[in-house]
Parts: sequence; structure tokens; C-alpha cells
Amino acid sequence: MKLEMKVDRYPGDPGEFITVVEDRCTACGRCERFCARGVWERVGTVYRPVRIEDCVECGACWNVCRDDAIVFGEPRGGTGVRFSYG
Amino acid sequence: MATGTYDLIVVGAGCAGPAAAKTAAELGLKTLLLEKARVPGEKNVSGTCLNSAALIDPDLHYLLDGPVEREIREMRTYHIAADRTTVFHEIPARGILLLSIRRDHFDAWHTEAARAAGAEVRLATTVTDVLEEDGAICGVLTDGGERLSARVVIDAGGVNSLVGRRAGLIPKREGHDMILYVTAAVHLGKERIDERFGDCIEYYLGPGIQHKTWPWIFPKREVVTLGTGGYMDEELIGGAVPSVNTYMQNFLDLPVVRKKLEGGTIVAWGLHLEFDESLEQRVRDGLILTGEAGGFVAPFLGQGMPEAFFTGIYAARAAAAAIAAGDVAREALEGRFEELLGENIFMQAFRHVAATNKKSILSKPDEEIAAMMQNVVMGGGFITNVLHTNWMRGAAEGDLGPVQEAYDFLEFVQPYREIGGDFETLYNERQARRKAR
Repeated sequence: MKLEMKVDRYPGDPGEFITVVEDRCTACGRCERFCARGVWERVGTVYRPVRIEDCVECGACWNVCRDDAIVFGEPRGGTGVRFSYG
Repeated sequence: MATGTYDLIVVGAGCAGPAAAKTAAELGLKTLLLEKARVPGEKNVSGTCLNSAALIDPDLHYLLDGPVEREIREMRTYHIAADRTTVFHEIPARGILLLSIRRDHFDAWHTEAARAAGAEVRLATTVTDVLEEDGAICGVLTDGGERLSARVVIDAGGVNSLVGRRAGLIPKREGHDMILYVTAAVHLGKERIDERFGDCIEYYLGPGIQHKTWPWIFPKREVVTLGTGGYMDEELIGGAVPSVNTYMQNFLDLPVVRKKLEGGTIVAWGLHLEFDESLEQRVRDGLILTGEAGGFVAPFLGQGMPEAFFTGIYAARAAAAAIAAGDVAREALEGRFEELLGENIFMQAFRHVAATNKKSILSKPDEEIAAMMQNVVMGGGFITNVLHTNWMRGAAEGDLGPVQEAYDFLEFVQPYREIGGDFETLYNERQARRKAR
């Protein structure tokens, strides 16, 4: 059985709930390494959440960022990932 | 800008939030429960098995009215090493061991129970910040721009809760303090689950399928959920493991698992962080952290739902007492909250089990753990490991102290002995009433 990352999403714009303080990013790449969803990518000298639409809001990137470069908020109410079966 | 004033605002409608809101409303507090999902439970990923050793507490009996997927009575543990696989089949209690649930159904039901008790509920509402006055938390700000005031705020917003972070109580965590795990729900249909799993949950330990944690398969009515992952240290990801999904794929590829899931389809995937230690501080003036936000998860076991129910209820009681006394400062809130926690045998017992297991597990490589657990002949469970670890240490050092500790601990885990016919009768009565409704 091949693992498929099946997740649903609520309709609506979740907003920019993850942003990077680029002055602080040292491009260590830990955000990309711990992200299971491939959200992060190196762009020039910093990392950015270039595929934020794939994010499931777990917060791994924020927790492992040792440079305090990631601002991790919440999607707007009633938007973003929707899990089934809990 | 809209405003509102409450005695108590509870943020998050997972396990702790509705328990807190229901309790507070019943105690006569003007209570508001806020939840970011459209349906409570739809932002949650968890193990979804409620432990009867907690549910026998009268404070939690009302939860037996909720929607249950399957009653669990037995557990199997597969220890897979290079040369042999050992399977332990345990029946640790005389009755229902766990209740398997779906969080998207159960949390929604629980939230309605809070509403029925008199709490105001607002769904699809994200809290973006806390309100502070003279160093005390006095409310929250929502994404709709509302400033909502309260005498006390209860944070039930989960592992990365913005409330706890903004209040300066939840730090960043990784390494051996945080677990990253992935879940998959496989639809098999009721008949195949009855046949292959029945009323038994399964744990696995094998090469390449976890990083110092315990992959599991929990059966529900129509689907089984699988979970695995590991501690967020430097070995979790890298080399042959580009992502935590690799552990899950290897788990699905185990011959024994492949056979059990034959004919099934993956219908859902989930990802979750789980804090695996204690927070230094859980209370501030006007604020109590509960559930995962407060770090109330039994480390290593990852069990957090009962802790969330209990801490939600206790926080509401502490808040009500403090409001009645006109003093919601940290000392007043924390004193009563800690007192109630200290009286809870279930939480104290599981913290002990968890801490002992975590210590003995994290000091060894996965292969050694598999071999060690294969030698725990008395049943192979986590509780047994605590007994075994203390007993063997005492025997090796010729010291009766650890052996006595093992005996004392056996007394301490009596809640499991209590799960018998009475609990089952209570459960059946409550579920029958539910079905009649």
C-alpha cells in the first residue's frame, strides 16, 4: 500500500499565516528538513514557505528554527486544513 | 470594533476546551468557547483511544454518552527483530480497556454538551492574541477583530497554542522534548476489521518503522488508523529517511501489516506534534494552560486525551473558585489547580509509567529496545516495563529499594484493576440511552 497524503481543506483564504523574517534567516534549512509536506524551499540566501497551500499547520518548522526567523500564526477561522478521523 | 465580556473564555474545542466550558457553565460562569475549525475535531490528529482507567473517574462519566467507534478489550504488541518476531497478546483488565473514537465526531458532540450546559460557542473563530492589563491576561483578540474580555482565560489551544505562546509560557521545543508523528486512516469495512482486529489494538516495534516511539494500529468501526514517527532529534530525518512519511511507508510495508490491511484504501492522512515533557509554568495572572497547551501529555506514551479532560475540568473549577473569591492572580489559580491535579491518581500513575519508560527507552538503540521488550515476559506492556526495570535493577544491585518501588508502583496502578463489570454496566446504560435518543 503506497502512502498517500490525503487531506481535505476548508474553502476560503487562510491568509499568510507563516512568514519569514529574512534578516534573521541563516538558511540552515531545518524548516525544510523537518517539514513532511515540502512547503519550504531555499530562495537565494533564505528559506521561504513557497508551497504554503500544502501546509497542515503542524508547527514543526517554527519549533526547529533556532534563529527565530519564522513567524507561525494560525489560518483565519474556518479555513486551512481539515482532518478526518482525528 | 465588537467587544464582549465574560467570566471565562476558553480557547480551543478539542478535549480540554469543551470539558472546561461545560464545567464552568454548570458552575454558573458566563462562559465563551472559541474554536478555529468549522466543526470541532476537524483540526485534530491524535491516537483516538480513550483510556478506561481514566473514564472510571466520576468526573468523566458523562463522556460515556459520546459517540464511540469500537470498544477495545485487548492489546497485541509485535516486537520485530532481525532473528525473530515476538507477539504479546495482553488482556490487562477485566472489562473495556479503551474506547476508540473519531475526534471529528467526539469533539463536536462534546462541544454541544458544553453548549447545552449554557456555554456560548463560536466556531470558525481564530484567536490571534491575548489581551493584557497590568501584567494579567484579561481576554483575547480574534481574527474578526473582536476584543473579548474575561476574568480568566483557559488555553486549550493545543501543542502550539498561540495563546500560550503570546503569553510567554509555551517555548519552542525539539529533540527529546517533542515527537513528530504521522497518521493514516485505512478503510477496510466493518466486517474485515471485526475479523482481523476485533476489539484489539496493536503496537509494533521494528527496524525502520519508528524513531524511539511505538507505531500503532487502532481499529475504529469502518477504518483502522495507523500512527508512527519519532523524537525530533538529529537522527529523526536524514539519509534513508527523507521524511517522517518514510517510517509510515516502512510500517505499511511490514509483511504482517500488509496482510492485515489487504484490500484496504487510505482515506485520510494526518500530522501532529506532541510535546513530551513538562512545561515550567502553566499559570499566569488570569490564565491557565490545559491539555496539550499546558504540556499535559504522558511523556513517551503520548497519551493526552484523559489529561486534557481532567485539566480542563480542574482549570474551570480553579477559575470559578478564584472568581468567587475576587482574586484571579497566579497564586490563587495555580494553588487550586495543582491541588486538584495532585489528587488525581490516574495522572500521577501515568506520569510515573511514562517517565520511567522514557528514561529506559531513550538510553538505548531501537534494536536493543526490541530485544529488551522481548525479554519482558510478564506481558510486554509499558506498565510491566516499569515493574521489570525497577525489579531487575534491584536484583542486579542487590538492593531491595527498587524492588520495593516496584511493589509500591503495583499498588499505585490500581485504577486498572478497577475496570471491571461495574464500568461496563455504566457504559452500556449510557450508550443505550444515547442510541434511544
